[in-house]
Amino acid sequence: MSRLPAEFASLDHFVDDWVLSDSRARSTKRFGSDYGEVREFYDQMLAVAPAVLEYLSARQLGDMDEPDERLLKLMLSLAEIGPAIEWYEEVRVKDAFPPHRFTLTQQIPDCAAQE
Amino acid sequence: MSAQVAPADLTLRYPEVGTGPVPTDIYYQPEFYDRELEAIFKRAWLCVGRVEQIASPGDFFVKEIGTFEMSILIVRGKDNVVRGFHNVCQHRGNHIELEKSGNCQLFRCPFHGWAYALDGTLAGVPDAEAFYDLKREDKGLPTVAVDVWEGFIFINLDNAPEQTLEEFLGQQGRDLAGYPFHLGTNTFEYEGIVNCNWKCMIDSFCETYHVPILHKRSIIDTLAGPDNPFGRVLDVRFKAPHRTISVVGNMAYQPNPVQGLAFQYAPGPSITSGSVDEKTTLPKGLNETRAENWSIDVQAFFPNWLIVIGSGMYFTHQMWPLGPNQVIWQMRGFLRPATNAAMRFGQENSMVELRDAVLEDGNTLERIQRSMNQGLIKEFVYHDHELALRLQHHTVVNWVADYERRFQSVKR
Repeated sequence: MSRLPAEFASLDHFVDDWVLSDSRARSTKRFGSDYGEVREFYDQMLAVAPAVLEYLSARQLGDMDEPDERLLKLMLSLAEIGPAIEWYEEVRVKDAFPPHRFTLTQQIPDCAAQE
Repeated sequence: MSAQVAPADLTLRYPEVGTGPVPTDIYYQPEFYDRELEAIFKRAWLCVGRVEQIASPGDFFVKEIGTFEMSILIVRGKDNVVRGFHNVCQHRGNHIELEKSGNCQLFRCPFHGWAYALDGTLAGVPDAEAFYDLKREDKGLPTVAVDVWEGFIFINLDNAPEQTLEEFLGQQGRDLAGYPFHLGTNTFEYEGIVNCNWKCMIDSFCETYHVPILHKRSIIDTLAGPDNPFGRVLDVRFKAPHRTISVVGNMAYQPNPVQGLAFQYAPGPSITSGSVDEKTTLPKGLNETRAENWSIDVQAFFPNWLIVIGSGMYFTHQMWPLGPNQVIWQMRGFLRPATNAAMRFGQENSMVELRDAVLEDGNTLERIQRSMNQGLIKEFVYHDHELALRLQHHTVVNWVADYERRFQSVKR
């Protein structure tokens, strides 16, 4: 069985590295990656992102199967690395307060229903 | 320069603050810091949370006030009243509640088991008959003054606050009331310790003169843009002791690819989008000049709480001083709920862009503090649109002087 919804199976090779547990893990992944890897993920994800978002807009948080959840988590990783490409052209925030000194103490769950 | 960006001479509206240089000594002198704690932080109302954190009777959270190493217990009682207590057992002084939040009917001290009801009264003492002359009615939890404004819970460490919360929040509180704060149900929080004075950190979020330079890679085009090359503000208002800064939005901003998709699927306009949710009715005090090119307000509530607020989301900064040269920085975001899974992506982008932008702000602070500590910058000269910083200096100095004039002369 595919790890992603069938129509997005072309993204399967990203699942191992970019489906992560939570926001904290995604920022750790971004700041610890090399730019080339992030760029490749960005380019391939962006190409299908409009279709993925249309697909996800018909899904409800708290009521998704695992392939759908993985697909959403890939998109959340895209959200995390967006500024690395679109603002900084490197993975870190340039000229910034060290991110490891300003840490998430409360997170929004990735896939849980929201009120 | 766009006609819709405020001209210079905002400062002249407030002749009491002058236009001259401002000494930096209050940003590093240990002696002044001690006076600030007495005059300001032990007298002013301080925000500690939201009512949604304690929605049901028995719900509680514990707020650690690093400034005073105090642990404050905020509880919703069976009567639905929100109360505050020092989290201190009146037997031997241990903290009665060690969890950060939860629900209970009785707080039981984990040392010897003394138990307190939700209203703070001492409800149970193991082997009570072995105490001599124990007066239970004198051994309730020490109370802390609590009040609520627009769903935000405030405490006052003065046992008999001179002003009610409503009086303290004054015009700025009245003018911002009615904003749908309660819709920001999905929250995230960042926290860090920064080696700078608490006022230095507040300053960095109260002017936008720095936006075209410091944020040249990130939010320059949303909050400044070609019509506003020097990062002027729309307006600064002084509603003593509080301040509002209304920030320009570039309505012609064209988002980047991922950012644009995120804006499209966000549950409300992101702080970094420069756009407005037409469905939200803004209270009088938000974008008070009703400028069409408005993005956000920074509503700075004295002494240590800022609400950065747009039509679709808001976040707060809170600064808890740990010393003249150190502060706890807490940033809490409040996002509207995602009504489908795609909107979770929009939320994540709002959070990430906000974090990256404020990390840029944070990078200046420790250098500024060292420069002041070393005596290498003895005064600040302020741009007209850095007025809110001048207003903070004025307010802090006056608040301390007023307190000392009225109270310390009595003690002596």
